[in-house]
Amino acid sequence: MTPLLDVKDVQAGYGDMRVLHGLSLHIGAEESIGLFGPNGHGKTTLLKTISSLVRPTAGSITFDGIDITGRKPPAIVEAGLIHAPQGNTLFGNMRIAETLELAAFSKRASNGAQKRLDEVYALFPRLAERKTQLAKTLSGGERQMLSIGCALMCAPRLLMLDEPTLGLSPRLKEELGAAIGEISKSGVPLIVVEQDIEFLLSHRPAISGGAWRRRARDRPRERARP
Amino acid sequence: MDTLLATLVSGLVLGSLYALMASGLSLVWTTLGVFNFAHGALMMVGAFIAWTVSEAVGAGPVAGVVAGTLGAGLIGIVIERLVIRPFYASRNMLLVTAMTTLAVTIILERGAQMIWGPRLKQLPPLVDGEIRLFGNAISAHEALLLVAAPVILIALWRFTVSSKIGRSLRAVGQNQDSAALIGVDVPKAFALAFAISAALAGLTGALLGSIRFITPAMGSEPLTKAMIVVIFGGLGSLGSTAGAAYLIGFIEAFLVLWVGLYWTPFALFLLMILVLLLRPNGIFGKR
Ligand SMILES: Nc1ncnc2c1ncn2[C@@H]1O[C@H](COP(=O)(O)OP(=O)(O)OP(=O)(O)O)[C@@H](O)[C@H]1O
Ligand SMILES: [Mg+2]
Repeated sequence: MTPLLDVKDVQAGYGDMRVLHGLSLHIGAEESIGLFGPNGHGKTTLLKTISSLVRPTAGSITFDGIDITGRKPPAIVEAGLIHAPQGNTLFGNMRIAETLELAAFSKRASNGAQKRLDEVYALFPRLAERKTQLAKTLSGGERQMLSIGCALMCAPRLLMLDEPTLGLSPRLKEELGAAIGEISKSGVPLIVVEQDIEFLLSHRPAISGGAWRRRARDRPRERARP
Repeated sequence: MDTLLATLVSGLVLGSLYALMASGLSLVWTTLGVFNFAHGALMMVGAFIAWTVSEAVGAGPVAGVVAGTLGAGLIGIVIERLVIRPFYASRNMLLVTAMTTLAVTIILERGAQMIWGPRLKQLPPLVDGEIRLFGNAISAHEALLLVAAPVILIALWRFTVSSKIGRSLRAVGQNQDSAALIGVDVPKAFALAFAISAALAGLTGALLGSIRFITPAMGSEPLTKAMIVVIFGGLGSLGSTAGAAYLIGFIEAFLVLWVGLYWTPFALFLLMILVLLLRPNGIFGKR
């Protein structure tokens, strides 16, 4: 079976500084993976390279059998490969409802946007209570919810979450963990970047639709099943 | 009483002009983070194109205004592509584009001089006749401007608030990467913002072309005023820019009455400096 996402020998970085030195990774249509590693080792850079905010200097990225290397970000979103960025403040001067409606921007996502909006509000009732609140006035946890909600509005076929629980209290972490589990159960494959390995492992049963692979940073290509 | 009303009306006319000019400048600023110094020159080009289509070709003033608006919009797209887009990634984008858009101003002004020559030109009014407002006679053309400005501003505001494309422009202005990650084509959004802004400048020029003379340098004073308005308004929303535009229009009209035409620009700048000392984020900006 061809993998849903296939990253092959990708090199990328910023200016002269290379961060990814030939990284490969693949994920099947039925599985979810967690990525973890020390700060500054290029996890965010990897996700940015996949979503084309950073252009790879070598290697190839294939999504659903189509080569998307170097395509523009909108084309990648249109294909259903969605990236919820790290520490995201989204659009500070937009209201929650406005942001979520706008997030269904691509042609793909505009079909069934209303239904997905209802689903997002059901998943995060806090967002439903604050529809007219400006994003910049939201708490850290609510921002993460909005960020994930936006990603869901894009109608993801593969969803990449970059540290969705960064800086949240244990209770909120639980809440978000449960929501992420729900998303996974609904059949969306996930790539979750997380510092907190315990968190990932504790949600393993919920997240793992199929195999749950653990993968360290780029160079050590060890792959262990927990 | 009569002078007061006359001054109010003249302030309203000036305010409408400044609002049209400044809203375009502000749109580019909030979307791209760039100050377009060629905005005044685009206004001038719009006026000349309108004159060519209306008078030289003889298609009439309405066709002239439409052509001036669209022509300036197209030139705006070219300017964005040639002298703004190459510097998106530059750390000094604001400074570099200040220089490049100033260069464009010089090119457009010299170009207009070469194409249209030094003779003063004027457009016929869009509508003939006079209208009485608060007991003052103003030309029907100015009255049209008074009505058109708020209508256009409200349409622009509705566009940015309610439409998908308009919202995406605001999104790009607030967070480019996040906008790209929901599928917005950021360069396209920049080009669109620039085109709308340039078209507004062209429209202003075409409307102004039958109130003042059309000359290659006609854009520089309105550009200065629009900059004052945008900074006065707090470099922010369309609403505060429009509010500041009318406020400056009234202030200018009263300054002309009190200190005379000669000292008005000086007094206006002095006032702006005072306001910025007291309220660094503009008159409607948050402290
Ligand atoms: N825009 C940028 N310009 C230059 N260097 C950058 C940029 N973004 C990241 N880097 C550098 O690239 C390296 C990898 O950063 P990256 O954000 O991918 O790490 P990370 O694994 O996501 O870290 P964290 O766990 O802290 O989020 C770091 O050394 C960082 O300083
Ligand atoms: Mg990171």
